[in-house]
Order: sequence, then C-alpha cells, then structure tokens
Amino acid sequence: MDHSSNKAFRAAGLVAGVVLSMAIALPAAAQMIIAEPMRIGVIMPPVDPAAPAWEQSVARGAAQGALIAEDEFVFNAEMLGMQMSLVRATATTAEEAVAAATQLVEQDGVYAIIGGYDNTQAAAIGAWAEEANIPFVNVGGASDSLRNDACHATTFHLEPSAAMYIDAIAGWYVRAGFRRWYVVTDGSEESLAQQAHLTQTLQERHFGIRQVAQQTMAPGGPVPDNLVSEIARNNADFVLILMGAADQLAVMTALDQAGVDMQVTGFPYPETQTRAYFVAMQAAAPTIGTNNRVTTWEATLDAYGAREMNARYRQQFREPMDASAWATYQAVKILYEAAFFGGSLDPAAVVAFMAAPTSVFDVYKGIGTSFRPWDRQLRQTLFLDKISDEPVPDTFNMAILVGELPAIYMAGTDPVERLDQLGTTAAQSTCGR
Amino acid sequence: MTSTSGRIGRPRGPALIAVAGAVLGAGLLMSSTAYAQADSYRIYVANEYGANISVIDTNTDTVIAEIPISGRPGDVRPRGMAVSPDGRTIYVSISDFNPQFETPEDKIVAIDVLTNEIVGELRAGGNPERLAINPAGTQIWASLEAIAQGAGYDINTGALIGSFRVGVEAEGVAVSPDGRWVYVTAEATHTTTIIDAVNLVVVKHLLVGNRPRVVVFSTDGAYAYVTAEIGGTVSVIDTETQLVVGTINLGLDSRPVEVVTSPDGSRLYVAGGGTSAVYVIDTATNEVIATIREQMGRRPWGITITPDGSKVYTANGLSDSVSVIDTQCLCVVDNIAVGRGAHSVVLGVVPNE
Repeated sequence: MDHSSNKAFRAAGLVAGVVLSMAIALPAAAQMIIAEPMRIGVIMPPVDPAAPAWEQSVARGAAQGALIAEDEFVFNAEMLGMQMSLVRATATTAEEAVAAATQLVEQDGVYAIIGGYDNTQAAAIGAWAEEANIPFVNVGGASDSLRNDACHATTFHLEPSAAMYIDAIAGWYVRAGFRRWYVVTDGSEESLAQQAHLTQTLQERHFGIRQVAQQTMAPGGPVPDNLVSEIARNNADFVLILMGAADQLAVMTALDQAGVDMQVTGFPYPETQTRAYFVAMQAAAPTIGTNNRVTTWEATLDAYGAREMNARYRQQFREPMDASAWATYQAVKILYEAAFFGGSLDPAAVVAFMAAPTSVFDVYKGIGTSFRPWDRQLRQTLFLDKISDEPVPDTFNMAILVGELPAIYMAGTDPVERLDQLGTTAAQSTCGR
Repeated sequence: MTSTSGRIGRPRGPALIAVAGAVLGAGLLMSSTAYAQADSYRIYVANEYGANISVIDTNTDTVIAEIPISGRPGDVRPRGMAVSPDGRTIYVSISDFNPQFETPEDKIVAIDVLTNEIVGELRAGGNPERLAINPAGTQIWASLEAIAQGAGYDINTGALIGSFRVGVEAEGVAVSPDGRWVYVTAEATHTTTIIDAVNLVVVKHLLVGNRPRVVVFSTDGAYAYVTAEIGGTVSVIDTETQLVVGTINLGLDSRPVEVVTSPDGSRLYVAGGGTSAVYVIDTATNEVIATIREQMGRRPWGITITPDGSKVYTANGLSDSVSVIDTQCLCVVDNIAVGRGAHSVVLGVVPNE
C-alpha cells in the first residue's frame, strides 16, 4: 500500500475543499472567462489492424469520441470567448503512456490528461499524475485496486469500477430469478478480486444466491473439458465468466458447441462492450453468446439527450457509439466544465471542482452524476444489452437495450443514494486509509 | 395551404397559414391575458409518442378531440407548442426520432382552436423542438435542436427572418414581452443565447444551469427564468443587465423542464419531471413555497395555466395523462388520460362570438 499516495489523497481533499469553497462563493452572475487556451491531453491506444475487431473498435471509438468532443467543445468555448483544444498521443504500454503524459504537460501545456484504456495504463498514468499534480480522468481501467489501495490524489474514474459492474450484474440476475451461480475465473489477481467482490456483494446485498462452484482456466488456455459437466453437476442456472474478452469468447463458444442453453455473461471489459464484439459473439456462440451484456453506454439509448448524442455520433462516423467513444467524449466534457465552471486551469482548482459533492455532471444518462468523495469514482447508471440472435443489416441493430441499472425514475429516493447501489461503499473503501 | 421545402438559411417563398393568418390578424389587438370573460378555453397536449394532439375542454376537464399529426407514431413526434397572442391558433413543432436526418417531418403546423383543424404549416429543418411567438404575433421562433440554431420566421409568409448559432442541442425559446429579445437555451452547452430580434444579431451567450431546458419571461419582462434539468435549478436572468442574478435550487432529483408564470406574475409553477412534482415559487423571494406531489401523474414535463390563474395543467409523459391543479389549495384535483407520451401543454381560446 502506497501510504504517501493516500496521505496525498487526503491532503488534496482538504485543498480541494478550500479552493471549492472559494469557487462556489462567487456570485451566480460571475461568468468567468478563462484567458489562457484550454488544452486537454488524450492518450489513446493506436488502432492496430492486426488486432481483433473488438480491440480496434475500442481504439477507433476513443479517437472518434475525442474528435466529436473537440468539435463540440471548441465551438462551445469559442461561443463564450475562450480557446480550447485537444492534444492527442498514443501509447501501447504503461511506459509509453507515462512518457506521452509527460510530453503533453511539459511541451504541449495541457492542464489535464485523459487515458487509461486498460488497467495497466490507468495505474501508471494515475501514479504519474499524482506526482505531477495533474488531473487525470481514467476512461478504461475498471480495476478496484485503482480505487482502493492504489488510489491517487488527482485521478478521477469515469470508467465504472469492477465492483459497479459486478453489482449491476448481480442486481439484474437476482431480480430475474437466477439463484445458482457458476463462476469461471482465469486465476489472475484481477479476476480473483472480481470474484471476491461478487462473493461479498452476494452476501451483503443480494440474499438468496449461491455461488455453487467456480473453475479456473488459464488465460488464453484451452477451455477445461469438464466445464460443461461441472456446470450441469452443480445444477447451476447462471454462469459468470470473469476473464478477458478473448477468453470469454472461447468459453462461450465451447459451451454453445456443447449444446448448453442457459444464461451466461462475462465481465464487461471495454472490448466486450463494442458492437464488433457482439458480432463475434453472435457468430461464435449463436445461442448463449447472444445473452445479456452489461455496458457503460448503449448506442440505441434514446432518452436523456442520449438520442441526440448517439445521432450526432452516428451521423459523423456512420457507426454506433460504443462505450470507449462515449467515455472519451464525456471525459473531455467533464474536464472542460470543471475548468470553466471552476474558473481556472489551475490543477488544484480543477481537482477541487471535480471532487466537490456539489459538482454535477450531465453524462447523458438522465441523472446528475458526481464523483464519490471516498474514491473519486463517477456515480452513474449502467445498461443491460441483449445481443441480437438474428442477422442484422447494420451493427447498430446488433443489440437492444433491455435494462437500466439502477433505474433512475424512482421518485422519493435520493438520486445519490440510488446510484450508490453500485460499487464500493464509503465503509468498504480503503482509499486514503 | 402551401409549404416550402427550402432549408434554413435560404430565402423562402410564401409559406404559411392562410387561414391561421386571418385568425391571427383578428386577434392582434388583444394581449395574451386579456381574453374576454365569456371566452372558453381548451388545453392542447402534444403527445410525443402518439403523434397526435389531445384537446381538453377546461370547463369539464374532459378530452373533446384528438388531432392526428402523423400516421406514423413512433417515427414522427410533436413536441413544443406556442399560442398566438389572441389564443386562437396553436403552433406545434414536429420532427422525427432521427435527429441526424433532416426529413420532411421537420416543420411547424398551425391548428385553429375553433375547428381543431390543421390550417397551415411551415418548413423548419433541423429538428424544431420548442416554439415562441412574438407579442405582435408576426414572428414565430424555433429552437432547431439538431443543428444548434435559433430561427425566426415571418408568421404570415413563412419567410426566414434569421437563423442564429446557439449552443449544442437547442431546446427552449422565448420572446420577451416587448418583442425585442429572443432567448434560446442549449442543453449540452449549459447556455442561454440572447438574440436581438430587432437588429437580428446575437448579443450574448449566458452560462446557466446544467442542461437547461425551458425559458420564460416574467410578466413584466424584468426577468427570464431558465430551468436546468440535470442541475435541478431555475436560473434567474436580469433582462436589463443580461446577467444571471440568482439560482433557485429545486433539488438534484427534481429534473425541471417547463415553467409557467402566473398571470399576476407572483408565482412560477415548475414541472419537476424527476420527482413527479410541481414546484411553486414565489417570484418576490425566489423561494419554493410549495411542492405538489400527491396524485400527480408521472414525469410532468409540460405545464400551463388558465388566464385567471385558477388552474394549472401538466403534461405527464410516463402516465400519458394531464394533472389538473387547483392553485388555491395547491393540490391535484383531477387526472385526465390523454395520448401516449404527453410532452407539452398550452392553452387556446375559443372566443365568445
């Protein structure tokens, strides 16, 4: 545990509180114009033509999300008499990401960084950002470790945490009546941490469910021969695969080819939230691969301004907006608004604005979202998609929206409390301890 | 009836509303609240998913007509509405559910209150969402959601007066009581753009609350009020200084959309879509003095008030209903079933002739 980071997290919180109190003390009429150019750095994965289509989709979506965000927020800034731009970099490793972040700050003068399209880069940039005192928005690293022992003072997580995803899966399938869960892991630290949270959330929040058994499969390895028989022997009614995208596809394919017909889903890594992945699932496992998937964003969502966002994106790029595109767009929006509403590009002021419980961001999910004070995780709803089990003429139709997790139209309950049904609670958090 | 097919920004030929123009001309001498005592009133409800307009008689609070807007419900949607100064013509913004495409459905139609028939239409490309009419009844202004513009049209010829860039996802639009200013909100930009309707220039972009929806002016024109759906606030703009001078907090969960001023100017009634409530604000103090929740329909977005200020009507999108509020007891006295996806609501006048 990095105690220096955690002390810094607490200290930043104090500074944030002071700066914020100055900011919100300003009269409502004081519309602040930022004189300096507002530059935001984005560190994205390059599009690798040799990679599976779903990996390419994540990279392409990030680039396109950045582009449409740049179009809109440059326009917004100019409308209000300011200058704004995005500065782009690419990285395939944690070291490259840190080098890119350094260059973006020192040479290009960005006031904040967006990146972390996987856990490794998110961890590396987060640690660097704390040292450099630069606000960082993590858009792809779901690992709970980034939000707990390895949390960093200037990192904000737009990507939902693993705990949020698992709580969303649990909440939905419990209500749907699935009681006997079979879990497949890959034995990695991340996979086992996800399983540990699942165990905890089933014990504390979702009574009546049992993990009847679990099985470990080596990443990239063959699907165990006895997987189908073990699922049957344990009389499981639901299978949850806590593995990477390619391994989820392999397990689904094996189960499908063995004639298994039951509810199966996997952990929603960014690659698995793409239409390209849905296409691969439908092709490889037409029966069980077309079950439900949890996503951060859904291209067919047509409420709360999502219709307009999805339409603008589809018009510009001729393809549906995947989660990585949405996350990149929203990260730009949040950082732009934090600087603008906070009235400063100063890192402490930007961090303070983002961290404040009173700062509310509209991420087109119909409810004001804010970052949790204990781990800087953005509260937000998630979605449940049903992958099409029929050929479709357009990848836009590869999925339909079947659920909102949690449902936001529940008058009489506090929206923050409602959104905190997903993820690590303040009492559970080890960030800053 | 003739309609133009030209896009915004091009000159256009005669377009609008021979019948409505005549009706309108007859009403120009009346102010919007100076209806005769014996006039009767009708409530018009735009049903977004039903693609029709429900008409309610305020004497009986029953639905007396349903006006079809399109035979393609689910594809074509009526949303924002405006009323001519004499109350005799209802204007409805029509668009489709595909904001990325400009389709023939992007238009404004006029409904004659006396006959409940569509009497004219005007092409307004770019997904017109909400409408406002100037006090003289000569101009209609629309927020064009898909193309981030506010646009004004000559109500008698349909000619474009001017189109102006506003923020992304243009939404609310209002004309000041003196006709000089047009305010247009933009949801994604958190702004209200002020257009000089005389000199036809944008004079200012104001930052307001998070995801602003609807803007209205106070009866004396001294203030404009802008609801902010995600922020859960109402921004108060001093129209003299063109500055935000106050923010009324309704709560994060309130998700306010439409707002209406009482005829005497003393109150604002705000439709709280998130809480299925109506917030009553004292305009002297800008404080919430009551919140009406009991028996309210679900997700009220639209709201209007009778000329005598005695009844408020809300359009409730998730219960496909209109709630009727008695402004004396500040309580719901009736709920009326209307069409699918009630979005907006306005009041029309049937003259006592």
